[in-house]
Amino acid sequence: MGPIMKVTAQPADTTLTLVLDGELDASSAVVLDTELNKPELLKYKKVLIDCQRLSYISSAGLGVFISHLQRLQDSNVKLVFFNMQEKVFNVFEILGLDSLMTIVPTEQEALAA
Amino acid sequence: MLRVEGPTRFVFAFLSMPKIRHVAWLLALATGCWLVLLLGTLSQGRSVLGLPPDWPRWLLLLAQGGFAASIFLYARLQPDALSGHGFLPLLRRLFWRGLVLTALLAGTQAFVKLTAEHTLPLPGDATAAAGYTVSLALFIILLAQTLYVWRSLVNFRGSDRLQREWTAFELILGAALLFQLFVWHVPDYLLVAVVVGLGLFGVYLSGHQRWVAYLSQGQKLQAIMLQLGVLGCLSAFLYVLRGAQSDPALLAPPTQQAFLVLTSSFAVFYAVAGLLVTLFNLPVADVYEQRRAEILSLQQLSQIIQRGQTAPEIYQALFTSAVQTIRADAAWLDAQLQPTEQLGPLPASLIHELIPSDLSALREQLTDLLAPQQRELIDNDLLRSQRLTGLSQPYGSAAVLQLRSSTHDYGLLVLLKKEQSGFDPEDLSILHTFTTQTVLSLENLQLAQEARASQRAQDELRIAALVQERLIPKHLPTDNWFEISTYAQAAKEVGGDFYDFLHLPGQRLAVLIGDVSGKGVTAAFHTAQMKGIFHALMQPNPLAKKDRERYPDPHRFMVLANEALTHCLERSSFITASFYLIDYEAGGFSFARAGHCHTLYYHSIKEEVSYFRSEGLGLGILRDASYGRHVKNQFWDYNPGDVMVIYTDGIPEARNANGDEYGEDRLAKMLGESFYQSAEEINRHIRLDVQEFSKGLPLHDDQTLLVIKFKSAQPQG
Repeated sequence: MGPIMKVTAQPADTTLTLVLDGELDASSAVVLDTELNKPELLKYKKVLIDCQRLSYISSAGLGVFISHLQRLQDSNVKLVFFNMQEKVFNVFEILGLDSLMTIVPTEQEALAA
Repeated sequence: MLRVEGPTRFVFAFLSMPKIRHVAWLLALATGCWLVLLLGTLSQGRSVLGLPPDWPRWLLLLAQGGFAASIFLYARLQPDALSGHGFLPLLRRLFWRGLVLTALLAGTQAFVKLTAEHTLPLPGDATAAAGYTVSLALFIILLAQTLYVWRSLVNFRGSDRLQREWTAFELILGAALLFQLFVWHVPDYLLVAVVVGLGLFGVYLSGHQRWVAYLSQGQKLQAIMLQLGVLGCLSAFLYVLRGAQSDPALLAPPTQQAFLVLTSSFAVFYAVAGLLVTLFNLPVADVYEQRRAEILSLQQLSQIIQRGQTAPEIYQALFTSAVQTIRADAAWLDAQLQPTEQLGPLPASLIHELIPSDLSALREQLTDLLAPQQRELIDNDLLRSQRLTGLSQPYGSAAVLQLRSSTHDYGLLVLLKKEQSGFDPEDLSILHTFTTQTVLSLENLQLAQEARASQRAQDELRIAALVQERLIPKHLPTDNWFEISTYAQAAKEVGGDFYDFLHLPGQRLAVLIGDVSGKGVTAAFHTAQMKGIFHALMQPNPLAKKDRERYPDPHRFMVLANEALTHCLERSSFITASFYLIDYEAGGFSFARAGHCHTLYYHSIKEEVSYFRSEGLGLGILRDASYGRHVKNQFWDYNPGDVMVIYTDGIPEARNANGDEYGEDRLAKMLGESFYQSAEEINRHIRLDVQEFSKGLPLHDDQTLLVIKFKSAQPQG
């Protein structure tokens, strides 16, 4: 079992911020998947992912975002990542996800995106 | 509390008052009656406070009866003394109360004696009369206390019928208060017959001594002492009152003889019977029967567990045992609080004498009633607490137990009885044993199932490792113009690294490396798929006009592979890959990167180590035609002495004990140190450094490392 990752949901009017804390690997991916699977997620215009405390992401973790990408797009929910550590950003970049997903440095930019 | 069959509207109205008001009313009534009695006794043969002397007999009897009735009703309204306490504290409390009352009696008698000997300036006969009234009141209080302790003991684990018999006994005692009031001229033999008959009823009730069976040896000794003490107190009162009545100096008022005789003989007889049962361990048959039933149930339960039965059977065993042993009138076991995969299908509900609407009513009220951490709830008076209402039948008491381990909720057991005070501490401890045993066995079952599942998982992993092993190319392409060295190491859990080569006509070489997300059998399966796609796409196209167009270029390869994978990759899986098509004649190679690690390259003319940093999206992420825009074809002219290092993320993401990653920089540095060596030596140099870096740690992820070195020699043949 890897270290447990914590997902905290902070709902606002039109945006939902999910704060990730820990390592997102195969075992913790389930937690995030449950959160992203909630039907009420589609009510929001934007889902922001705060990655400040996300220290590692494995392919299973990426898989969670990838599997929800289409569904969110189809429902016009924008997925925006912010505060991403360089190491984690590299993983997104190598896989080419930076061309598909919106990844911005700060929360302000994420709200404006 | 009076049962519902206790008649008359008045009683009903009285009972529906809040308890605190009962108590106040009764105490006021008792005090009033006693004052009337005192005044009446003092007025025997003289005038007191200007009141007429020699009050009528019925008034005194009525006052006495009213006093006795209110004191007894008061004792009756106290909560069942046994619930929540042991037998010994109950007896001890009775004994102490008796002792205090006896001390008061002794004080009163001493006072009367002092005045009689003219040591105190008070009229002797008046003090004697007052002392007698006080003593009588103390006696009635002691009798009430004793009777209602005996009630708790008689009804301990008693049936519904026994409770009804007890209520009848109480009603008869109440009637005895009226006996002397209205019946004036009864022949003596009839009176004796009635009193003896009632006495026999009391004797019958005295036979109910079940509680003795639950005493330990040491407790029995204490119980005997306490019962002797209570008997002593009672005898002291009887002695004093008998003496007072026959005292010629005292103009004793008429007493409620029938009531007092009946009650005190029952009180004495129950104590004596209890004493005998305790002393000689007289068998009280159904007690032992019940104990045997408990032991049998427990044995059954543990046998079922040892035989390793299924969860539904364990639940059924618990349910049957609990209902039978506790003799519940209705019960419900809800097993579906937190279903687990390991335990398989569970029974929806086990029900005894309840209808579906009862279940929903119970479920609704229990969620509010039980705090999350509360393991059990005993309510011995549902009528008063107004809990668990809305059921199809009225129930008097309820026990609710959670089946819970430290990690898991296995269900909820609800037992209902029609009578009040249906669940005593012994019942609770039996139920605890049952539920603990059940939770233990369910947990064992779960562990066993998990062990089986993990065995299956290990088998799967072995198969997956075998598949992967077979997919690794056994023969490396060889030629004079290049050198290839490979290294592949699977992590403990099979990952999804793969690579493959294909020597194409015209001195060309196709190289594929990749990594499937996920682990285990699924990953191995996708690896095999990817290998199939590679070989299928590398078939020469007979319609191609030019030789160079016979094979798809890297960009096209990725687009086709992505399309093929769209139909067989689950939504959360993806594959990273790099594909290289090396052409000796052209002195260059074209390649495309689909989300895979950047290629590390040593440039022999510039004498420089660098990464090809290019864009490219992994396979299986975008599943439509737009994927083509996210992957690029790139070209590179190589020179002899150039070195290409291709690898999977297990290399740069290898970790040391501090959790640091190996990293691209260190990898590049290693190539810078070894580029002049053979492909095999370069490979070993890097590999040893990675192993040194994560020394002593298990492999975090699969590691694959390919080194291709270009040479100046002519191709063979």
